Amino acid sequence: MINALRNPWTYIAFVVPTLVLYMLFFIYPVVVSFIYGLYQWDGVSQKAFVGIDNFKRLLHDSTFLKALGNNMYFMAFSLIVNIPLVLLISIVISKVRRLRGFYKSAVFVPVVISTATVAILFGVLYDYESGLFNHVLRAIGGDGWAREWLSKPKLAMLSILIANAWQNIGFFIVLCLAAVLNVPKEIADAAKIDGVNGWNETWLVTLPLIRPILFVMLLLTVSGTLKVLDIVQIMTNGGPFRSTEVMSTYMLKVGFRSLELGYGSAIGVAMFVITLLMSGILQRIARSEEVQY
Amino acid sequence: MVRMLQSSSRMESEGGVHTRRGRSPGSQWPMHLLLGAYVVVMLFPLMWLLLSSFKTNREITVRTWSLPSHFNFGNYKAAWETAHIGSYALNSLYVTLAACFLTLLLSSATAFALSRMKYKGLSKKIHAFILMGLIVPPSAVFIPLYQLVTDVHLINTLRSLILVYCTYALPITIFILHAFMQSIPLELEEAGIIDGLGAAGLFARIVLPVTVPALVTVFILSFIGNWNEYIISQLFVTSDSLRTLPTGMATFNDGYRTNFSSLSAAVIMSIIPVLAVYMFLQRRIIDGMTAGGVKG
Repeated sequence: MINALRNPWTYIAFVVPTLVLYMLFFIYPVVVSFIYGLYQWDGVSQKAFVGIDNFKRLLHDSTFLKALGNNMYFMAFSLIVNIPLVLLISIVISKVRRLRGFYKSAVFVPVVISTATVAILFGVLYDYESGLFNHVLRAIGGDGWAREWLSKPKLAMLSILIANAWQNIGFFIVLCLAAVLNVPKEIADAAKIDGVNGWNETWLVTLPLIRPILFVMLLLTVSGTLKVLDIVQIMTNGGPFRSTEVMSTYMLKVGFRSLELGYGSAIGVAMFVITLLMSGILQRIARSEEVQY
Repeated sequence: MVRMLQSSSRMESEGGVHTRRGRSPGSQWPMHLLLGAYVVVMLFPLMWLLLSSFKTNREITVRTWSLPSHFNFGNYKAAWETAHIGSYALNSLYVTLAACFLTLLLSSATAFALSRMKYKGLSKKIHAFILMGLIVPPSAVFIPLYQLVTDVHLINTLRSLILVYCTYALPITIFILHAFMQSIPLELEEAGIIDGLGAAGLFARIVLPVTVPALVTVFILSFIGNWNEYIISQLFVTSDSLRTLPTGMATFNDGYRTNFSSLSAAVIMSIIPVLAVYMFLQRRIIDGMTAGGVKG
């Protein structure tokens, strides 16, 4: 009877088209970027094999190191500012009795707006003369606080981080809220009988029990901030003076503007390896600390 | 991970009922104050932009805090004509829907074969191979991907976007559908087999209808992802008439950086469709995003 589910032709017809696309547009570029990384090539003339020279060059390329540092800044900001804010807001939403649905829908609005649009929106908000940010600052603190948000090297990165937080926090809140509401009610009740109440309940009961979702959030933040691209490209394209350059914007410049396909691919490989390493470390930590309830 | 997220979103409605009961009606207004302030801060930029879109450039600078002197739609007319929002949106709609359709077609068939058809050893290997796609950051491989798309003569076509968007959605989609299909009881199929259905018939008449909730979730996920995609479309499509909405907006932005009234109107116009879809489908979108939270 089960033989009906054993038709090799159906199996092939159902699996092969997917595999062809996946191999062609996913696996092949990954393999090729490792190979390109070993060559010096402008896309037109003969490829010249240079071994691991491109990778050695990476270690001494101050722009690449600056870009990597900016990715790390991006990551640190998202971990230190965004995640605690996400936890706070989602726990408070879980504690209110009324309007919970409204808050949940409202915080999610920025998530559905495209990154390109968010980048343009914040470009307008950050404008020196007309932007909302400087108008607010002028209204509360006098003219002295108004700034050229995107053209000052020291502020540009922070300005992008704020725009990025505005767009992404809602997604994490909804994710985290689902986990918080999923904590079994019996455990909270048991804790109450033991005299644990209010915010202590959050510290002692909720946070430990939502550890799995915290790891998901860490993982998404780490991998997301290592590959961040479009918001930076539209808002500053790495400027001013490379102050907001990240690995991916640098890779695209090297690959598509300077036409150094080999070196650009090496940057891609580096991104790939760093992401893999950091997610691997996080997953190892997560596995060793699995919670049971 | 996904299964955990799915179950958490399913549990949530029940959780909501529980927390309503058994608490003293203590004062909740500080919490509402905090959440209210947060929502205002998050939504105020959009409100400000909406008001700006009816103002003149001078009014935006000088009379920031007041309502526009009159609601003129001239900015919208100008932005619509110069930014070509309409044709960009049509390109986006075509690419998005075609890629979503192809993704659902391929991934549901593959997930069915991998989870239900009897080549288990092989299926496990293929499944693991496809899931490797979840850890590769696509942006790391744009250079060889661009070369490849050029070599197969798909550069500067909307078809290239459809194929690439579909491919990059496959791992997460197959992951979700595979998990869902494995939870369907085998008895359902046995009934179909008694009725004389073959593998393809079982897929189309029995498994697919049962899988509709998961299909809706992955459809919404890939719809939002494709509709918002910027970098691949900006790399692969060079003619202006083929641009998708996000790249079209970015191009418009480069040309009109100081004309804030037009820019505001264009941004508002590009947000309205997706916001409208969101209002209609909120619940499904939020649950879908929660279920697909591993995508990143």
